[in-house]
Amino acid sequence: MDLTIRIAGEAGQGVLTTGQLLVGSLAELGLEVLATRSYMSRVRGGLNWYDIRIGDEPLYGPGDKVGVLVALTDEALEVLGEEVASGGMILHNTGSGKGDINIDLEAVAKETADSTLYSNTVAAGAVMALLGYDIGVLEGLLKKQFAKKDEGVVSGNIACARAGGKLVADQVGKLKGPKPTRKGGWVYDGSTAMGLSAAVSGVKFVTAYPMTPSTGVFTFLAGAADEYGIVVEQAEDEIAAVNMVCGATYAGVPGMTMTSGGGFALMAEGLSLAGMMELPIVVMIAQRPGPATGLPTRTGQQDLMFTLYAGHGEFPRAIFTPGSVQQCYDLTRRAMETAHEYQTPVLILTDQFLQDMEHSIDELDSQPRLIDRRIVTDAGEDYVRYAVTDSGVSDRAIPGGEALVVCDSDSHTADGHITEDMDAHVEQQDKRMRKLKGMTAGALLPERFGAEDAETLLLTWGSTLGPGREAVALLNAKGVSAAMLHFGQVWPLAVDKVKEAIGSPKRIISVEGNCTGQLATLLRSVGVLTECELLTNYTGMPFTGAEIAERIQK
Amino acid sequence: MKLAETDTKPAWCPGCGNYSLLKTFDEALEEAGVDRHKLVLVSGIGQAAKLPHYTRGNVFNGLHGRALPAATGIKLSNHKLEVTITSGDGDMYGEGGNHFLHAIRRNIGVKVFVHDNQVYGLTKGQASPTSDLGMVTKIQKHGVMSLPFNPLAIAILEECSLVARSFVGERDHLRATMVAALKHTGGFALVDILQPCPSFNKQNTFKWYKQRVKPVGDDHDPRDKEVALRLALRWGDEIPIGVLYRSERVSFENQQTVLAEKSLVEQYAAAEGGIS
Repeated sequence: MDLTIRIAGEAGQGVLTTGQLLVGSLAELGLEVLATRSYMSRVRGGLNWYDIRIGDEPLYGPGDKVGVLVALTDEALEVLGEEVASGGMILHNTGSGKGDINIDLEAVAKETADSTLYSNTVAAGAVMALLGYDIGVLEGLLKKQFAKKDEGVVSGNIACARAGGKLVADQVGKLKGPKPTRKGGWVYDGSTAMGLSAAVSGVKFVTAYPMTPSTGVFTFLAGAADEYGIVVEQAEDEIAAVNMVCGATYAGVPGMTMTSGGGFALMAEGLSLAGMMELPIVVMIAQRPGPATGLPTRTGQQDLMFTLYAGHGEFPRAIFTPGSVQQCYDLTRRAMETAHEYQTPVLILTDQFLQDMEHSIDELDSQPRLIDRRIVTDAGEDYVRYAVTDSGVSDRAIPGGEALVVCDSDSHTADGHITEDMDAHVEQQDKRMRKLKGMTAGALLPERFGAEDAETLLLTWGSTLGPGREAVALLNAKGVSAAMLHFGQVWPLAVDKVKEAIGSPKRIISVEGNCTGQLATLLRSVGVLTECELLTNYTGMPFTGAEIAERIQK
Repeated sequence: MKLAETDTKPAWCPGCGNYSLLKTFDEALEEAGVDRHKLVLVSGIGQAAKLPHYTRGNVFNGLHGRALPAATGIKLSNHKLEVTITSGDGDMYGEGGNHFLHAIRRNIGVKVFVHDNQVYGLTKGQASPTSDLGMVTKIQKHGVMSLPFNPLAIAILEECSLVARSFVGERDHLRATMVAALKHTGGFALVDILQPCPSFNKQNTFKWYKQRVKPVGDDHDPRDKEVALRLALRWGDEIPIGVLYRSERVSFENQQTVLAEKSLVEQYAAAEGGIS
């Protein structure tokens, strides 16, 4: 079984604090946890919510029906009340009597610990007790969280958690939370998993211009900088950011920048520079619905084609599209390795939904395991940077040694110097493009979920992995023969192998967070597909498994 | 098509100030004792930006206007390298203007040499950010109406670590100024180098500059911000040249705790060897 707890209120009211206390406690208990965030582009007011789905079986995406709604405002109750499942409960933060349970959280906090600041802890305590969970876990978390603050803060919070629990005592038993089934503790969001992977893999230079929803990774790496030995700088604009990363990788350390669609548009020229100069840069793009400023804090998958074609001229690139928190960790490293193996830009395409998604998974390794930069250290005076090779990959030396490293954005000869000779221009263009052969051979193949011979095949990429998996399970449970193929890398594509993976199902449905079906378009353009159905969602909210399953059966 | 034979070096016009500038730059590198293997010549796009190809060193000839961010990334990866930028007035003050403002704020330790001929050369004669008011071009056909950008005054207001101006027609002065910049260890060094463009700037000619430039006296105290600013604002009948200003700031790279002992490149090599 599973159940979703939704904390909803205005920005600045403590939706996040309450949610994080619960996520930490519930994961520690050993429940399967998958939390997602929905917020407006403002610092105060509005209506934000935090969904915490808990279960006794692995969870992959957001839930459909809310079991417990903690409505911090009247508006939250009015707007979101109808999404509460039958048998669900509403805890309302006023004495209005409109909820199943009515508690003035701030008044309780004030009375218990003489501070309205602890009202979030009252709410967390109430939810834990309501679902029949041990409040001691929450107390442990509070002790850990406020270890550096004075004793009064810890005891005040604990008293508030207990007070919250007591206030719902007469309701306990009406709702039953799922039973813990895993060895608890570890919860990561997509941003943390990506940032941690980059740090562990040896990113040494990170720069960005802050842009939602990519800022989480930037913030994580700034926090980890001293521990892992990373220089982190906030650039004056995205153009500066990408050019700084080009400089840093030229000089010899792995570098990375992160942005969203609008910022990436500004980086397009720098991306082309990295292609021409053969620099191993990594750019993480967290999508939000566009065009232009669009919905800054919502999710979407509208930039696959943009990412594929960004930058003038033609040059090889790889695009990874992680679908889960675990893949955020695994594919960030793979992106860095691919960039260095082929000396060309690599892009990671993610979105708000995945960056903010928190998932209970096994502990991620935080010990440094630096990637191989694949540089040559014994190059001499006769070294040339762009020697023509069969693989398209030339020996890469870095400045400071005996070899002089000459790189140019202009067309250049093998020695890196500017030329207008067309033979050299073509020879170098061909050399660079030859890298695609190796990159294609080594590309990540789409992963199948469900039976090989399923009649209906869903195609997904990026963060639609989880909802897609759940949709397949729901369809299978209803006797529908369905499976899914998920693309964790969308470029380059090993066409024959992808064709083989798709096989010949009766129905092929591309499930995408955009309105034109960009993966389907790409697969058609390379000859993998002829026709397929589209199932799209460009509302700004992520898919749920139930929504996909329902729309497929219509 | 084989155009290698016709692709002569350098690609500059006869009489271009860049010829003596290149020669002086090489002499200054020699005099300052710069190891060519530890030297990275960064540039963007423009006639000045081609200079790195005509001398010896590591080269990063990047995008138009983007030399500063690229050089910043290089310097932070390996702050033990000497990182120079060769740029023009369009590349540095126009296309790269935002980076110019912020790189000085950062005080990243790069040496910036701007070949300032007050006109666009490579695109054939349009106004540049430093063109004088009223200058007529095929684009600005009623004359330049935008006030010229004053790079030195802006740099001084931002307390740039070293701010200097020189002229290609005063070779000893230029060499000495370049050496001062190359030997500078406090952070961002800006040398704005006045230079005629015989092809496209018929107004600010060699003779025009030669009659106006005047070295600041030995008694000038470059630590005096107000005096330096007054010198930077002077333009017209008399143009002061020399090191106008020095500030006491600590370079960006020297403020990084992560770089206290070793460069990032050195740290990576050590860790790479140590962990499989």
